[in-house]
Amino acid sequence: MTTPTLTPISPSSGSLIRSTLIAIAVAAVLLVTCVLPAEYGVDPTGVGRALGLTQMGEVKLALAEEAANNEAAEASADSVIAAAEAQAGSPKPAVAAVDTSSPSANRVDTTLVALPPGKGGEVKLVMPGGSRVGYVWRITNGVVNYDMHGDSTNAPKNWFVSYKKGQRVAADSGELVAGFNGNHGWFWRNRGTRDVLVRLITSGSYTRIDKHL
Amino acid sequence: MCLLLGGQSTELLAHGVAAGDKGFIQQSSGVLLIPFAYLGAKHMVTGYDHLLFLLGVIFFLYRLKDVALYVTLFAVGHSTTLLLGVLTQVSVNAYLIDAVIGLSVVYKALDNLGAFRTWFGISPDARAATLIFGFFHGFGLATKILDFEMSPDGLVSNLVAFNVGVEIGQVLALSAILIVMNHWRRTASFRPMAYGANVVIMSAGFVLVGFQLAGFFLLRSTT
Repeated sequence: MTTPTLTPISPSSGSLIRSTLIAIAVAAVLLVTCVLPAEYGVDPTGVGRALGLTQMGEVKLALAEEAANNEAAEASADSVIAAAEAQAGSPKPAVAAVDTSSPSANRVDTTLVALPPGKGGEVKLVMPGGSRVGYVWRITNGVVNYDMHGDSTNAPKNWFVSYKKGQRVAADSGELVAGFNGNHGWFWRNRGTRDVLVRLITSGSYTRIDKHL
Repeated sequence: MCLLLGGQSTELLAHGVAAGDKGFIQQSSGVLLIPFAYLGAKHMVTGYDHLLFLLGVIFFLYRLKDVALYVTLFAVGHSTTLLLGVLTQVSVNAYLIDAVIGLSVVYKALDNLGAFRTWFGISPDARAATLIFGFFHGFGLATKILDFEMSPDGLVSNLVAFNVGVEIGQVLALSAILIVMNHWRRTASFRPMAYGANVVIMSAGFVLVGFQLAGFFLLRSTT
């Protein structure tokens, strides 16, 4: 039977071995001086740095790490949002009767939250159901992803209701109406590469305001 | 590493998926036959490891019938594992799979040099080898598609479209390779240079193996 790949060249075993060793040696030199520096920033000989390839590899590694961090941050934000959405469909705890008696005296607070890249932070107000708080927040030096939400004092752990959320937002304002007795507030995450500062002003009837970082 | 990387993307470079395409795929759901066929063709045409292996396979194939047979074997091999890999969500480490693909290039170059017959007195069945290495190439493709995170909506149709695109891309790439090879074979320089050319292909295969194994050991945590 004729083999279709019949080779028209038939070198000796010795020259084949020599050729294979040469192929390996050339590959090894290319890998060590060019490919490993350029792809992974690994430069055992220093040739890669002299050629500028190591620098390229280091940039790539830094970018890859940044991308991985962003992805992880997004995944955790997604899971929080997914949990919120899953909960939104299930029965909410009984909404507390609107407190018609005069709530705690109106108050105004300014809260500052510094967020390094990749970090999230929360400010929560303790509010009776039905009470209202006017708010405005603004980011210095960047944008954030946020979720304005509330959790009931006697609800199971990790249960919360999301009122409003957004991505890459520099400021927001409005009125937060507590759907039930509990903690209501904002979660912000800095997905950027620089430190940002959240400046939050709240005014209304609430008994406590707390930062959770 | 089968796709050329998308310029200044901040995507994980080691994964070798163009960020623009990945972004498109993650935004999309439903049946998108032409876009996915295009992506498959692009993947093949820009996949230098697949192209090197194909070059090795057809290096000494003179008859169109043989070219068709071997390319079909390769296509059957990689289509099978591409579809199975994605549908069963079996993902092998991309670096290891790509290292095996690099080895397939080394194997084919040695086979072309007649090394197995010279060393061991017997040549492995070239058809079986092409099919088996086709399986590995398909697993490599499947691993990259899993990384695309395709929407389950329209997945099977899009996957088949991607696979059809891979075959179209293969025919396109092969046509270009064959035109150059046929021309080269007719020149007097082919015979004396054929040996050296296969040594170069083998060396390139070793570079691929080293590149991928280094990635496996250095960046394992990010895969």
